[in-house]
Amino acid sequence: MADRVERLTNLLAVLLETKVPMSLADITDALSGQYPDVERPRRQAFERDKLALREIGVPIEMEVRVGDEFAGQTMYWIDRSAYELDDLDLEPDEMRALQVAVATVRTDSQVGADAILKLGGGAGLAERPSVSAVLPDRPELPVIRAAVAARAPLTFEYRGEERTVEPWGVLLRGGFWYLVGHDRLRRAKRTFRVDRIDGELDVGEGDAFERPPDFDPRTAFPADPKQIGHASDDAVDATVHIAALRARAIERELGAHRVVDRRDDGSIDVSVPATNLDAFRSWVIGLVDHAEVLGPPEVRAHVVDWLRAVSEPGGAEADHLAEHIR
Amino acid sequence: MSAAGSPAARGPRNAQDRLRRLLVMLPWLMEAGEVPLADVADRFGMTPAQVTKDLELVAMCGLPPYVDEMIDVFVDDGMVFVGVPRLFTRPLALTAPEGFALLAAARLAMELPGADPDGPLARGLVKLNSVLGDVGIDVSPDGVADGTSDVAVDLDGPAWTAELIDAVSTGSEVTIDYYSPARDEVSSRRVVPRHVFVDAGNWYLLADDDRSGERRTFRIDRMERVEPTGVIHDLDPLATAPAAFFADADLPRATVRLQPQAQWIIDRYPTDSVEPVASGGGADDVGAVDVTLSIASSRWFERLLVRLGPDAEVLAPAGAESGGVELARRILANYD
Repeated sequence: MADRVERLTNLLAVLLETKVPMSLADITDALSGQYPDVERPRRQAFERDKLALREIGVPIEMEVRVGDEFAGQTMYWIDRSAYELDDLDLEPDEMRALQVAVATVRTDSQVGADAILKLGGGAGLAERPSVSAVLPDRPELPVIRAAVAARAPLTFEYRGEERTVEPWGVLLRGGFWYLVGHDRLRRAKRTFRVDRIDGELDVGEGDAFERPPDFDPRTAFPADPKQIGHASDDAVDATVHIAALRARAIERELGAHRVVDRRDDGSIDVSVPATNLDAFRSWVIGLVDHAEVLGPPEVRAHVVDWLRAVSEPGGAEADHLAEHIR
Repeated sequence: MSAAGSPAARGPRNAQDRLRRLLVMLPWLMEAGEVPLADVADRFGMTPAQVTKDLELVAMCGLPPYVDEMIDVFVDDGMVFVGVPRLFTRPLALTAPEGFALLAAARLAMELPGADPDGPLARGLVKLNSVLGDVGIDVSPDGVADGTSDVAVDLDGPAWTAELIDAVSTGSEVTIDYYSPARDEVSSRRVVPRHVFVDAGNWYLLADDDRSGERRTFRIDRMERVEPTGVIHDLDPLATAPAAFFADADLPRATVRLQPQAQWIIDRYPTDSVEPVASGGGADDVGAVDVTLSIASSRWFERLLVRLGPDAEVLAPAGAESGGVELARRILANYD
């Protein structure tokens, strides 16, 4: 039998050339001798080829014929306008910029490089970019983006619950992709880690919702977790003493406007958002013994209680915390 | 970027992959007319023998009444010649994953220090958007009407990032003051920046370090000062981020029982396994999970245990919690 590449190429050619949808019998006539003669293996071979073509992106359309002597037969064709890449008219510098962008991204897949080749780019870059970024590759992302564009709701399992979300956009932050949208179950805007979505995404009908006109995924949730609070009027700032060893770095991280006192030994006192007490405590502990919470008293007491619970595992403090702090 | 090293150049090639490559190669060859075989092979990450085999095969493809003349291509004396074809003059449209990969890469590149919001990349993105099957063009917040504000990338590099990228491209040596958590001290060293990369939200500098004489990776947010020394070194055009930066099977492991409030670490750090605690373990463990994770450094693990506090309990190995207890006591000394 002929090489399978030859049969696939001929199948693609016949479906591209045909003016009318073709049945399997029409197709095997046109490719005489290339498919098995016996009905069952012939059907199986064709289905395998059809799947192979679809997997490389060939839009094979099909419909079951009704109303004439061929009724019941499945007819196949390719929509040529969907098959061919439109000419993008990319200028050489635009092509090169896209190519550099793809080279900048570190990912496990070859998909971006393949896309560049399709666009006609791919002449070797003279040098490697000075900078690169790891881009997590998630199979859900193209589906989510298409749903955003179509304004189609998505249904999926998330942390053991079925959620239906009107997707507004996706955001890469801190090395993770997030889906931001309106959660119909919670009746509120919610953010979901894309890699935590369990199983398949079910895409609903399009044009099912309106996205807020000025939506920007980057402002959908604060980048600094210490600022996440329940309402703006209960914002809490804590004062923290930072030892000289870490003072310069912390001043740069927070900004000079957060420095409330400078000591002769090079240490500083800073004012830090503590609205989200968990995030604040985590940040302070990250500075180990180079930081001390000075106030307000209840924030200082919380951190001291926490440290005591850890320093006396199984002690009374641990039980006390478990009961009262939560 | 040559496509060398793409899967086609390695392992066995199945019919599907060969056809996929051909459908990209043929339109490009038709555009070019005649191309050295070696260039075709290099571009598509194949051997010259593979290119020849596949092109000779498609040259034989054809359907009545055009048998053998559907694709007019032949290979002779190291050159590939392509005549005016009937079919396969245009590449296949981009698939959804390809479109997303380009868009995400371009978005990411636009967020890098020094990106030009009106430059060729932004213009290319606008054109690309027209083939991505989008509905409705949005105006993104920075005023670029590229319709891609539904895919956003937030890289947010620390101070010095742009300067260090510049230093890489010019080979400029710099002095850095660097805080090492392992030694808990700030030290000054001269380094030659070779590559800047971002992984899991953290920015790193790969640089030749004069202290160790080795190429080392530094976290940029731990630099307290960066100053050029004025010394210029030859560029290393091959320098790039280390592969599999955090994957290390040789690291020691610990198993920790996490209450729900502590389970954010599963999202943050690489874990080997996450097992829900079987019911019947007592009301205290409702919603708890047992997590096995690698211990990249003992300092990091001590800090993690103090952060997690009463929401985490070390199950194994025995005694692994002692570092956390010690650290909590050391910090508490500040509050006496």
